[in-house]
Amino acid sequence: MAFAIEFFLRRISQGVVIVILVAFVIFTLLRIVPGDPIRIILGPMASATALEEKATELGLRDPIYVQFGRFMGQVTTGDFGRSFIRGAQGGSAGGSQDAVGYNPESRASVSALIANALPYSLQLAALGIAFAFLVAIPIGLGAGLRAGKWPDRLGLYVSSLFVSLPNIWVGVVLIFLLSAKTGWLPAIGYQGFAYTIIPAMVLAIELSPVMIRAISVSVAANLGEVYFDVGLVRGLSRRTMVAKHVLRNAAVPLLNLFGAQMIGMLLGGLFVVEYIFSYPGIGMLTINAVFQRDFPIIQAVAILASAALVAINMLVDFASTTIDRRLKF
Amino acid sequence: MTSSTATAAASPATPKTRYRGVTARILRRAWGQTEMKLAASIFLALTLLTLFGPYVIDASATKMSVANKFLPPIFMEGGKLPHFLGTDQLGRDLLLRSLIGLRNAFAIGVVSVVGMFILGCAIGIYSGYRGGLTDVILMRLTDVQMSIPVVILAITVLGMSRPSPLTIIAVLILASWPVYARVARGVTLAERQKEYVRAAKILGASDLRIMVRHIAPSILPPIAFVAVLDVARMMIFEAIFGFIGIGIQPPTPTFGTIIASGTQYLLNAWWITIVPGVLLALALGSLNLMGGVLERARNHILQGGE
Repeated sequence: MAFAIEFFLRRISQGVVIVILVAFVIFTLLRIVPGDPIRIILGPMASATALEEKATELGLRDPIYVQFGRFMGQVTTGDFGRSFIRGAQGGSAGGSQDAVGYNPESRASVSALIANALPYSLQLAALGIAFAFLVAIPIGLGAGLRAGKWPDRLGLYVSSLFVSLPNIWVGVVLIFLLSAKTGWLPAIGYQGFAYTIIPAMVLAIELSPVMIRAISVSVAANLGEVYFDVGLVRGLSRRTMVAKHVLRNAAVPLLNLFGAQMIGMLLGGLFVVEYIFSYPGIGMLTINAVFQRDFPIIQAVAILASAALVAINMLVDFASTTIDRRLKF
Repeated sequence: MTSSTATAAASPATPKTRYRGVTARILRRAWGQTEMKLAASIFLALTLLTLFGPYVIDASATKMSVANKFLPPIFMEGGKLPHFLGTDQLGRDLLLRSLIGLRNAFAIGVVSVVGMFILGCAIGIYSGYRGGLTDVILMRLTDVQMSIPVVILAITVLGMSRPSPLTIIAVLILASWPVYARVARGVTLAERQKEYVRAAKILGASDLRIMVRHIAPSILPPIAFVAVLDVARMMIFEAIFGFIGIGIQPPTPTFGTIIASGTQYLLNAWWITIVPGVLLALALGSLNLMGGVLERARNHILQGGE
């Protein structure tokens, strides 16, 4: 118990520092990269004075560290601010408002926008991971247990093939084959669970190569360990050894992989896949926000994404130290 | 990966010659595999096509022609020469557009991987060699960088500014150097304890000289093999950026923009989307297969195989 408490205290304090630094990097990037949100809020016809007035009012002309301090102050109370563009009633109002008529109170709160989009993204991610496991576990196990034989080759071929298919292209091809041509599944937008299936397949194709390789390498390495031969010598069958010991030991590197690589890939994949399918999740929300210079949304998503990354890494490390107590943190 | 490299590096002898021998043995073993020869020939064929195609094929990648729009590939009914793989919605030759897209993607992939390899390994070696506070700060920096998802960083920077090949390369390098830094640091930690480093120090070599002349040549080749796989990854990123509209801008053809524009004509002219994708997948496939075989050969040799 003491171990767990010490572990979490230490890692959470490290994690908080990382997330604050990430927030600062993104916050600064947004403000030094060219592209003025005020121009989009007020539209191309607004006068220079109106622009300046609005920018000062929104605090965008203060020094960056002042803005950042103010922003972090709000974040600690759970308030990510309000969108520059999106109305509280849905729909966007960019470029249609004069300087006087623009009223921040009528803009949607960022937390609400994210809370609306998040369940969609989680559903897509969960289904994608499930599909990926469905493909990767049999192929990966086969390749690991029969290293150098045909299942091993199969693993190499399948993962080389899948990793070579750009997700944008796979997405379009699957829309063409499964939706446009045959009408089996719906594809664009979201009006029910069926709309998740094709996007999840694309996600699974992207994730499975890494899984296949990790599973096969990890299983094969364990078969070469001394304990495996010892178990056989002591009369345990190969089957028992694999089912009872190899799988458990192979799980540690797999968990690590999940933290370090998979979550980053998954986040990136979600963004792109949601964009291809106009799927109303976090990725779609963020990409639209980037094109509309909607800083509050981008900042919030970046902070939450990195916080999720840090948190998952922490849980993964904790889980692997629990499975294998020899590992130190 | 770190561990296998580290264990192999753990034997003494003169590391430079030893590793040169190892590199040659890895290459020899990799070349012995059928997959390697297959992948290399596909890659060579695509390279030749990309280099000479534009001069041999009598068509244009950018000139529009209303009479020739939506021509299917030559193997289908209605296809006609010289448009081997058909034309797009503006009558431009798809094969040539894809080849130019391939050339640009490959250039961006190679330059960005070389950049992230040099930057990452330099920081990693420095961090591992120096140790102490420098090491802690640099490694925390990699933590921060790795906690920003690549795609978020890319769409933020590229979506806000005007994307150009240089900014695209910069973003890719910025997003991916930490992986190399981590690996290089890990190996350097093991390496700096070795006798040859101590010997060089006693002989009066400067730290810079030790890092550049002694440590780098002995630890980098095994890492470089994996970089081949990253070239393919970066090419996919380039395609994604183009698809979203934050990559190389039209009229320069890129895979992303070709595929994105083709989606509107999917039912009537599927080849606009499918054809460039197949070419890209072939290129990526050959790179990945070569990278995969090299990686396996490296692991095999480093684990003491012949």
